[in-house]
Amino acid sequence: MSSDIAFLAEFANGAPTRAALELAAGAEELAGGSGGSAVALAYGPGAAGAATLGAAGASSAVVLGDDAAPAITHAAAAAATLRDLAPLALLAPATPNGRDLAGALVGLLGLPAFGPVRAVRIEGGTVRTEQATLQGTVITVSEPTEGAGRPAIVLVLPSTFTPREGGSGTAAVTSASAAAGPLGAARIVESHPAEAAVANLEEASIIVAGGRGVGSADGFAPLHELAAALGGAVGASRAAADAGWVPYQLQIGQTGKVVKPALYVGCGISGAIQHRVGMQTAESVLAINKDPDAPIGEFADLFVVGDLFAIVPKLTAEVRRRKGR
Amino acid sequence: MVCIKQVPATTAPKRYTADLRLDRAAAEAVINPLDEYAIEQALRLQESGAIESVGFLSMGPEQAGEALRRALAMGGDDATLVTDPDLGGADAWATARVLAAALDKLAPDVSLMGMASDDARGSLVPGAVAALRGMPLLSYGSELRIDGSVARVRRLTADGFDVVEAPLPVVASVTDQVGEPRYASLKGIMAAKRKPMETWSLADIGLSADDLHGAALSRVVEARKPEAKPPTERVEGVSADEAVTRIADWLAARKLI
Ligand SMILES: Cc1cc2nc3c(=O)[nH]c(=O)nc-3n(C[C@H](O)[C@H](O)[C@H](O)COP(=O)(O)OP(=O)(O)OC[C@H]3O[C@@H](n4cnc5c(N)ncnc54)[C@H](O)[C@@H]3O)c2cc1C
Ligand SMILES: Nc1ncnc2c1ncn2[C@@H]1O[C@H](COP(=O)(O)O)[C@@H](O)[C@H]1O
Repeated sequence: MSSDIAFLAEFANGAPTRAALELAAGAEELAGGSGGSAVALAYGPGAAGAATLGAAGASSAVVLGDDAAPAITHAAAAAATLRDLAPLALLAPATPNGRDLAGALVGLLGLPAFGPVRAVRIEGGTVRTEQATLQGTVITVSEPTEGAGRPAIVLVLPSTFTPREGGSGTAAVTSASAAAGPLGAARIVESHPAEAAVANLEEASIIVAGGRGVGSADGFAPLHELAAALGGAVGASRAAADAGWVPYQLQIGQTGKVVKPALYVGCGISGAIQHRVGMQTAESVLAINKDPDAPIGEFADLFVVGDLFAIVPKLTAEVRRRKGR
Repeated sequence: MVCIKQVPATTAPKRYTADLRLDRAAAEAVINPLDEYAIEQALRLQESGAIESVGFLSMGPEQAGEALRRALAMGGDDATLVTDPDLGGADAWATARVLAAALDKLAPDVSLMGMASDDARGSLVPGAVAALRGMPLLSYGSELRIDGSVARVRRLTADGFDVVEAPLPVVASVTDQVGEPRYASLKGIMAAKRKPMETWSLADIGLSADDLHGAALSRVVEARKPEAKPPTERVEGVSADEAVTRIADWLAARKLI
């Protein structure tokens, strides 16, 4: 048994994902408190280059696989590694891939699972997690029961930790080998990347989101301009994604992305609970809606009652003017 | 076999007991909304002839039988409820063990789940069940297809979609993009009353309370209300120009521009 903190480090297109960098910083921080070190379990295209995670906070890295196979196919290798290492906790990104792999580890190893969490601490050698449950109406703090196996599996929401900047160092790399077993039988048989680039909302510090009130795909043009002026990205409600006005990757909410930007601007979005759970931890929330009784008016920091088409273009011009551009 | 969970209604006003636990008796209980999409997907597969029969499985208290009855009103053939006093407070691991044991006994070609439960929101059960049953997982499908002895899902990626495939039997989960769930018709509600529903205890699926370590490997040590947010500032009944000035001042005050 060790006091190490392990984390899942997903790679894509030859580089660590934003989630991997956030969790590296988180694992390093927690390991500082537990007296252990941060260990990456790296997978995905580029994972063989996991030594670079040293600059992000990892002391060592175990490569589970360097290919584009579904994340869960690495579960057997991850389980074998965790059995040997018995770290205190495994931080997993609260993304579809992270959840698949974390779920498989819960099943293979019989482990306590937590999350999605917005804070993790090590207190007296025990993992303590903090999560918002029941649509954010209650905050609970949890820990493993006496005698529960290790590691505690912790699903971590995006932006819970901030990637280390300007770090240096290399992680000591080893590779895990274990037969993939039955979970390895799923394979990607077709890949269809989008023709136009799609923003990664989890990396945006400012998001201008549009909903049904935007009315059409063309209606998103002024939102793109405002986002550009603010230095942010465009997001959407499910209604806007379902209508085909924007790709589903831009959907925020229960079945979309969970985001935590410095600023969220909701335009023509009513603020349904399923949308709210994806953006309610934004530091500042501005809503523009023509309905004075829209639910978003109950939890926005600034609620502007008015027509988005009258306000957004003028706001873009004013933002540009004040920024001196 | 579609796994469905009974949960408190998403928008139901929630009451808490003195120790901040959800008063489940006070909140209206429904089929986990995301499981309705799994039901819809299964019924579409049955209608297209890709699968023969659709059954429903739930683990929960006795009243979870109501959720199964409602699923049967949407369609499908039969239902199984696993209920046991030793299952209260089950976590992802215990839930997965129970579902996996029941599914081993039912032995369907496809064990289908929703992408997440409304109350737990872990999305861990599908992966855990696949691991425990020793079969592949096809997860987060925006569409599930069965072609002979293989299953395929269309799955969203960072910038497009993939098609992921595995040989049957599989565990699968689908998203809310599979198509809107149907409503139960009056005829369906009547028909559901005559469809078979079995109730199993832990012993019936070959498990004991000891196997489940008190149903959970984690426990809640503290519960509190979230920090109160400062009240909303409203800008209303002003010209667009005035609104824009107020917004820009607010952004500047927060150092966002
Ligand atoms: C299982 C499940 C999962 C879901 N997951 C998600 C999710 O992940 N994300 C999500 O967003 N939703 C999700 N939903 C859907 C959610 O319940 C709402 O239906 C959806 O968020 C509504 O989108 P909207 O606010 O854009 O549209 P609406 O609720 O129709 O609101 C449109 C708003 O635009 C305003 N408006 C119209 N014209 C203008 C104008 N010119 N100027 C200013 N305002 C205007 C209107 O006053 C209105 O308030 C989910 C639902 C279910 C059942
Ligand atoms: N008690 C339960 N009974 C039946 N199915 C369940 C239960 N809990 C979870 N599931 C299934 O697992 C999926 C994911 O749940 P979760 O891992 O809790 O987010 C749900 O959408 C259900 O299909």
